[in-house]
Amino acid sequence: MTSDLGFWTLQALNALQLSMLLFLLSIGLTVIFGLMHFVNLAHGSLYAVGAYAGAAAAAVGGFWMGLFVAPVAVAGMGVLLYSGLIKRMRRSGPMAQVLVTFGLIFVLLDLTRIFWGDLPLAIEKPGFLSGRVALLGIEYPAYRLFVIALGLAIFTGLAWVLGQTQVGAMIRAGVDNDAMAACLGINVERLFFTVFCVGCALAGLAGVVAAPLLSVTPDMGLQILIPTLIVIVIGGLGSLKGAIAGSLIYGFVQTFGAVLAPQLASVLIYALLAAVLVIRPMGLFPAKG
Amino acid sequence: MFRHTPLRYIALALLAAGALFQAATAGYFGLEILIEILILAMLVLALDMVAGFGGMVSLCHGALMGVGAYAFATFGGILGLTPLVSLVGAIALTGATAWVIGAVCARSHGIYFIMATLAFGQMAYSYVFQTPFFGGDDGMGGIERLDLTALGIDLTDSRSFALFCLGVLGLVYLATVAVLRSGLGRSLTGVMHSEQRMRALGLTVWRVKADVFGLSGMIAGLAGALSAMHIMYISPGLLDWTVSGEALVVVILGGLGTLVGPMIGAVALVVLKHELSAITPYWHLVVGLLLIGVVMSRANGIFGWIEAQIGARLDKRLNDITRPQPTEEPRDA
Amino acid sequence: MLETRNLDKSFGAVHVTRDVSFRLEKGERRVILGPNGAGKTTLFNLLAGELIPDSGAIMLAGEDVTSLPVASRARRGLSRSYQKNTLFDGLSVEENLGLAASIHTGFGTRLWGDSLSRPEVREIVEDVAAQVNLQPYLHARVSEVSYGVRRQLEVGVALATRPRVLLMDEPTSGVGPEMAGAFHALLAGLPRDLTILIIEHDMDLAFEVADSITVLNYGEVVFDGAPETARGSDLLKEIYLGSWEHA
Repeated sequence: MTSDLGFWTLQALNALQLSMLLFLLSIGLTVIFGLMHFVNLAHGSLYAVGAYAGAAAAAVGGFWMGLFVAPVAVAGMGVLLYSGLIKRMRRSGPMAQVLVTFGLIFVLLDLTRIFWGDLPLAIEKPGFLSGRVALLGIEYPAYRLFVIALGLAIFTGLAWVLGQTQVGAMIRAGVDNDAMAACLGINVERLFFTVFCVGCALAGLAGVVAAPLLSVTPDMGLQILIPTLIVIVIGGLGSLKGAIAGSLIYGFVQTFGAVLAPQLASVLIYALLAAVLVIRPMGLFPAKG
Repeated sequence: MFRHTPLRYIALALLAAGALFQAATAGYFGLEILIEILILAMLVLALDMVAGFGGMVSLCHGALMGVGAYAFATFGGILGLTPLVSLVGAIALTGATAWVIGAVCARSHGIYFIMATLAFGQMAYSYVFQTPFFGGDDGMGGIERLDLTALGIDLTDSRSFALFCLGVLGLVYLATVAVLRSGLGRSLTGVMHSEQRMRALGLTVWRVKADVFGLSGMIAGLAGALSAMHIMYISPGLLDWTVSGEALVVVILGGLGTLVGPMIGAVALVVLKHELSAITPYWHLVVGLLLIGVVMSRANGIFGWIEAQIGARLDKRLNDITRPQPTEEPRDA
Repeated sequence: MLETRNLDKSFGAVHVTRDVSFRLEKGERRVILGPNGAGKTTLFNLLAGELIPDSGAIMLAGEDVTSLPVASRARRGLSRSYQKNTLFDGLSVEENLGLAASIHTGFGTRLWGDSLSRPEVREIVEDVAAQVNLQPYLHARVSEVSYGVRRQLEVGVALATRPRVLLMDEPTSGVGPEMAGAFHALLAGLPRDLTILIIEHDMDLAFEVADSITVLNYGEVVFDGAPETARGSDLLKEIYLGSWEHA
């Protein structure tokens, strides 16, 4: 079976799909860290909230309604979090931030349970994405291809924004050196706010996109958190290149590990992370400054 | 460097008295809660030792405790060793594991250290979870408690076991204080202040970090073995990172770097958890809000806050009584 | 005792030290002069091991230490003070000295017993406290003593490892002119067989205390010789004072 080309194609697509999902989560987290030196452990919980908000909206207006509402709702939540919590925690050390956002995980976990109960919810895939598509000699679920395409689209969009626009230049300047950015007359505070909300929106989007593949449960945020953290630590905290590289590494190691060496699969990724931290303590593509 | 202040002695005395009272009078459930507190207190002492005095904020102490529990169960249940030998073996193995983690992570700082320890913790979790030898998801049962009948103590009795754990906790506390006051402990505090300077003075910094992390791991391993003895059943959930997270929460809620504070935090968390879960299924919400409130208040936890309010006044008064020398806290020899 | 041979170090395109060679005999006191950005602190970091040179060699008492880590060099008798105080603020003056002394005596990594109560450590602490005039402040916390006292302690901590070579990075930095005299006295009180390399901004003080002088400019040694020769050197005035006025 492993000599079959179709098998490799299938696994590669699976890996790519997982990578894209992780990319949506890690890009927001890593840019927030790069800009604000803020570690948001509750980023995974925002993803869960996105899945719930999407599921609730989808129940009323179908999948596309959910896909629209989830990022907006989570971005709205980002506004609340930023003004209520994050802004005041900016100057605290990493430990205080880790703890506050750890507390936030608890709070968001129970809030989703209070609003939506403990039973798993599901989102129906839209009709034309529910089948399978013939591709490269295999049949592949259309929805998963949609996830890959969406991820690539977001990646391209972000690459364009960061590389070609004024805002992108400001963000890159801020990631490299926030004092310098302030000197250049950039309203750092407003930039932070915007980036934080966009990061939240992407987490919400990841949640609703993942929802038809998994079931929506209160602890889905906790489950995705560790892979997301691994991605950004392998890639380098605050590094844009690192987020995409880390996502791909995680997606492929995890997927191929699971089929080739199921005994080692989950240990493998942690061993890889440990190796990266030992050899390159700042990640593969460390951010400057 | 750790210092005892009058306030800390008072808090220790109150804690000990409370624990003894509870051990003497409580019923079965009260004793179960007490044992849970005592074991958690050992774990948070281990964590405070590295985090509060060495700046090594570990997110793998829960996993280390799990390693201790699994080692104890494996040595006893599968290799057929006596509980005492298993206990010593579990402590040694966990200490060695922690030493290696400490040595590897010694170069990482801040958020990277947190992430690196998290990675090692999760590695242990995944390994245990996926290995049929350890029972995988089902865990392991049939764990024996230490046999102290030669001393006339029957540890299968909850009350005796609770008193036994209290005794062990007392020893762990004394050992932690001794480590922090040793040359090694002083060097550790120096490293927390300025690693660069300690290195320039000729200290092999990674060795100090690894050694203390190893010692802390031994305590975590002991706590794990006791926890295995207590419940007589273990599952991979013990090693999950949220256990480490909770231990860190306890240290912070209680007061980082005060030793006494984290023990108070352990009491607070376990009691709160039991009281709240009797009223509402959403006790995480309350604990989460409490945690956010404490961290945002910028007080050093419950005990840190008390020390800032009362301690300064108390120390001043005592100083005024003894001699008109200001500043320094009284140091016991 | 301490010798550098053709030390080169660049950060990217910037050459911070270029072909730096000099030699300190046992007991020699040499002052390094040079305008800001001349590469003095980089040179110290190379000597102490916090930076590794791109090429060249560093010899300590005849041994090549070029690629040894910081702590190993320190254990071989090289000690340094910093331009910015790197003291342990929450601890007392005595504990600061004791920490350094316990590393030197090996008690700093022992698990049993307090290192500070060891007679070997106590002896060093009292000795050094006398050398750098810290006896009145031994029990005060670092955060409670004046800046001048902290500068003295900064040197004291470096001395408490009983070094053979002492590197002092601007020991009078940030203290008023009245302290310069106190520092002169402090230097006079140090054992004559201790080899000392000092970065100093105050030229007059430098000429007073130095046996020999090295002047760095743009990372290169532009003068190496006795203070008397340096004082009269036009080259020195031009390079050093010229840039100095700008700074």
